[in-house]
Amino acid sequence: MPPTIQFILNDRTISTDIPTGLLVLDFLRKYLHLHGTKEGCKEGDCGACTVLVGELRGRKVEYLPVTSCLMPVGELHGKHLVTIEGLNLPQLNPAQEAIVEEGATQCGFCTPGIVVSMTGYLMQADGPVTADGIKMALSGHLCRCTGYRSLKQSWMYLQQRPGQRRGIEALVKAGILPEYFLEIPKRLRAIPPLPEKAPSPQVVIAGGTDLYVQQGERLPDIPVGVLNLRPELRGIQRENGHLRVGALTTFEEFAAHAEVRRLVPDIDQYMALIASWQIRNRATLGGNIVNASPIADMTILLLALNATLVLQNGSAQREVPLAEFYRGYKTLDKQPDELVYDILIPLPPPGTKINWEKVSKRKYLDIASVNSAIAVRVEDGHIAEATLAMGGVAPVPLLMRRTGAFLIGKPLAPDTVTGAIEVAQQEISPISDIRGSADYKRLLTRQLTIAHFCKLFPEQIKARDVYESQ
Amino acid sequence: MAGWKSLKDMTVLSKPLPRLDGPDKVAGQAKYTHDMHPKGLLYAGLLVSPHPAARVVKIDASKVRRLPGVKAVLTDVHPTGTVRYAGEEIAAVAATSPEVLEDALELFEVEYETLPFVADIDSAMQENAPRVFANRPNIRDPRVRGEGDVDAGFARADAVVEGEYRTQVQTHSTLETHGSMVYWEGDELVIYDSTQAVHGVREGVAKFLDMPVNKVRVVCKHMGAGFGSKLQPGRYTAIAARLAKETGAPVKLMLTRKQDFLGGGNRPNSISHVKLAATKDGKLTAFYAKTYGTAGIGTNAGIRLPFIYTIPNWKHEHYDVFTNAGPARAFRAPGCPQASFVMEQLMDELAEKLNMDPLEFRLKNDSNATRQKEWRLGAKKFGWQRRHKKPGADTGRYKRGMGLAASIWWPGGRGTKATMTIYPDGTLDVKCGTQDIGTGTRTYMAMVAAEELDIPMKRIRPMLGDSNFPKSGASGGSTTTPSVGPAIKNTSERAKTKLMDLAAQFLGVPATDLAWDSGTVYMKTNPVKKLTWDELCQLLGTETLEVHGQWVEGLSSRGVAGCQFAEVTVDTWTGQIQVNKIVAVADCGLILNRLTTESQVNGAILQGISYALLEERHMDPETGTMVNANYGDYKILGAKETPAIEVIFYDEPERGVIGIGEPPTIPTNAAIANAVYNATGVRMYELPMTPDRVLTALEAHQFAGKED
Repeated sequence: MPPTIQFILNDRTISTDIPTGLLVLDFLRKYLHLHGTKEGCKEGDCGACTVLVGELRGRKVEYLPVTSCLMPVGELHGKHLVTIEGLNLPQLNPAQEAIVEEGATQCGFCTPGIVVSMTGYLMQADGPVTADGIKMALSGHLCRCTGYRSLKQSWMYLQQRPGQRRGIEALVKAGILPEYFLEIPKRLRAIPPLPEKAPSPQVVIAGGTDLYVQQGERLPDIPVGVLNLRPELRGIQRENGHLRVGALTTFEEFAAHAEVRRLVPDIDQYMALIASWQIRNRATLGGNIVNASPIADMTILLLALNATLVLQNGSAQREVPLAEFYRGYKTLDKQPDELVYDILIPLPPPGTKINWEKVSKRKYLDIASVNSAIAVRVEDGHIAEATLAMGGVAPVPLLMRRTGAFLIGKPLAPDTVTGAIEVAQQEISPISDIRGSADYKRLLTRQLTIAHFCKLFPEQIKARDVYESQ
Repeated sequence: MAGWKSLKDMTVLSKPLPRLDGPDKVAGQAKYTHDMHPKGLLYAGLLVSPHPAARVVKIDASKVRRLPGVKAVLTDVHPTGTVRYAGEEIAAVAATSPEVLEDALELFEVEYETLPFVADIDSAMQENAPRVFANRPNIRDPRVRGEGDVDAGFARADAVVEGEYRTQVQTHSTLETHGSMVYWEGDELVIYDSTQAVHGVREGVAKFLDMPVNKVRVVCKHMGAGFGSKLQPGRYTAIAARLAKETGAPVKLMLTRKQDFLGGGNRPNSISHVKLAATKDGKLTAFYAKTYGTAGIGTNAGIRLPFIYTIPNWKHEHYDVFTNAGPARAFRAPGCPQASFVMEQLMDELAEKLNMDPLEFRLKNDSNATRQKEWRLGAKKFGWQRRHKKPGADTGRYKRGMGLAASIWWPGGRGTKATMTIYPDGTLDVKCGTQDIGTGTRTYMAMVAAEELDIPMKRIRPMLGDSNFPKSGASGGSTTTPSVGPAIKNTSERAKTKLMDLAAQFLGVPATDLAWDSGTVYMKTNPVKKLTWDELCQLLGTETLEVHGQWVEGLSSRGVAGCQFAEVTVDTWTGQIQVNKIVAVADCGLILNRLTTESQVNGAILQGISYALLEERHMDPETGTMVNANYGDYKILGAKETPAIEVIFYDEPERGVIGIGEPPTIPTNAAIANAVYNATGVRMYELPMTPDRVLTALEAHQFAGKED
């Protein structure tokens, strides 16, 4: 028997013992017949099924848009699930009104999801509505008819609305959100935590953004362990000489943390190229690592940052450097009962520069053809330390040990980069697949290596010089 | 019958009005076939062939039938038992829940005798390639068209360019997949279908099931887009009807996303070997094209060459090639985006050889008077004179370039009927058996009636998407607006005539003494003697007034011209193309609703960019199946890649209504390709222009990433 979970759906409290692994989308459409949430792809790519999930943070509830096609119902315990039906008021809200007025809906199938994301954006903490913010809110939505241009115009409309404020209380006061939202914190606090002991799971689910795409039909039928019910696996602490990152920390949480932003100053630019807002709200660092995709965006960054994993089995813990975690294609140095618990990122010495690059067919919301990250420190014109990682060029996310070793001690000069590219070409073993031919991936290996150095050392390294030294 | 009012006299039409179904759509209240859920609904699904070519030897469904919750099984849904593409229907089940359905589909035991196959056009064209149809070669007999003397035309030319261009297979990828929800009322069949043609589906399904047309009703109030893929009746609808008959319950059968990719239609690819020539003063003299295209197991993979240009001597041989892939279907301007990619690049190549500006060269060879004006208008708005005279002139990593291309379209209006019911309280219904595929049909139906009758829109209930309503054609070929708009106007005029007759009777004067103004009927000689709209309708007493009308000549016209200008930035380090701006001049005749029309043009352009840069069906040569049959791997343009778009309407209200949905998607890819050449000096001969292809091409010209 699955445990009875309790949560609030729009303004009603739900108690259910349906299978924990059932998708929130299927629960809404097939069990409750709430048809405003649409099914487009069931892979998190189209955003038609977007809902808001609200979670208690202190006295407040914070809401984030997520794709309901990749989220297990079991995770909803103690949370507030909001669908388009839960946002509707007797009159249209400004996000809805803007879309109608600007002609930004045609067939309308993608529209409810877009309204949910836009409203979700307005619900974030107070502040002005910005074009970039709404662009982020739209980043995970596919519209095949109208064109995003009228949606963009509808952003402008929102911007120009006088006195437009964000945040839940402001929105309720302005008659934009239903009043029941004000009572949600109290109602959520009244839901007791789940009993500790759940049936032993066959599969554990973190964010589910890869797992449901790969095994979406199997998971609802088997006992699953929902890791997100364990808050101790989330969060980032600075400890002596390193950051300790809980494996369930989401991409969005990671990128928003002050310590991470200090360590990786351009992280916002990288995040813009990684998935959509909805997916980043769900995808976890631990999940990205364990999924073992050779092209995992976050894993590549963590490799360059020399991360170490803390694996836990019951009370036993051990540490494995991330670079040694991968034994072969999707083969891990991990026992079935072990969980990736923490990720330790050593704080590099001052002067270390970090860069991350990605090339994919579609620039945004696509899987990379090749991605790469580097951490490099130069002393007196010579490379003192260099860690280079590449994705999409080997069966595993690849730490380029030989290329890194080659770089150390060399002068920071174009022919050093040329030499590094030569070593790198021997170190990689790309294959041709849907993300590109092997030759193309070799070409990108060269290009991204050049890009790292040109971006980090624009004064010393020019692309043209690297070419001429070839 | 009178023509349309002049633009300045219009109070409703040609204004930018929000769509009437907008509030339902943004609130998630619009119900699609996908959302239909009557009591007792059974969930149906298809078992499809995993093999691209096979004979079905045996289907054992005994385990399926034994599964609790399975209500009906069909194992005879394939017409011949010989499968020709992966994704063809083999069997079907109806079950009490989606979970049972999923389990049931896994319990079929099918024995296939697999056959050799050809996964793509290149392998299909090889000598001794396996045949898709045993009794026919893969390469069909050519269709040859042309005029003049091609050899003589080339002989007198001063400059000739030639090359091979390739375009890809694109899938429609509508957000709502194909599907139906059906139920029986006695011997009458009711179908909710995600369709572009309620009448067409009615006729088709009646034929499939060998039943009278008048016993079938097809309803489609909202549908999650079609782009041509939902113009025809689906076999799945007839299958759902059989399952519903057998079980006596309503049945919903929606294709899965993967099934939709495999069998839901696509735009054929093209391979074009082309040659174009001109004299040194820039007059085209000859064109020759030998082209191939695959529509999978279907036909009509043609490409509309020589596109828009007037060439005295030309010849085009086209060969359809069969492959073991899902059949193509009409896709937004069939045959045209392919043609613009080929012809507009060829024109640019020839212009360069003649040392002529591409715009100037086009003006010399485009005989369309409207487009002559549009080229100039667009060039001015876009700032064509800022274009680099020398390709690849920008220094540095990012290089900007500009390009242009033309569009064209043919069909106009055609037979459509409509009915108006006027009620004594002054409200009215307008009924037409057309459908609103997202283009705003419902809204302009009300607008036309409001404009003609001078009454507020809120008193009008536009009704469509039901085969019980008067017949209209499929929503395809950009024919809907030029068909439905005039039909509603004609019906409104007839209603007006009838109401005036009624007023004449009541006032005791001949109808010829009466005039209509602002919803009021008055006596020409004594304007104080009048009846307002409400008073007129009250004359009906307890009756309603039913008026029938139809499409008539003179309110719509054929032929669309247009052009587009693109500015792009190419990242020479990675091969990624960013489209910065598109200026589109759209030839619009009389625009019925400026907001929804602009929306159409925007959407068409974005689909054009998506076609140019991203979309491509990949067939696995080993397995003969589509490897990217999902949105994760079949990439479509997103919000962040959307450029600035400026739409300039070239109003020609005197032409009446013309269709606009298709033409603006034609030139976008070619304008971008020409802009990429202008940016880099490297020409892209194959779509889509992915970073892979661009970087490889730049590398071949030895300057990928050479500049900072």
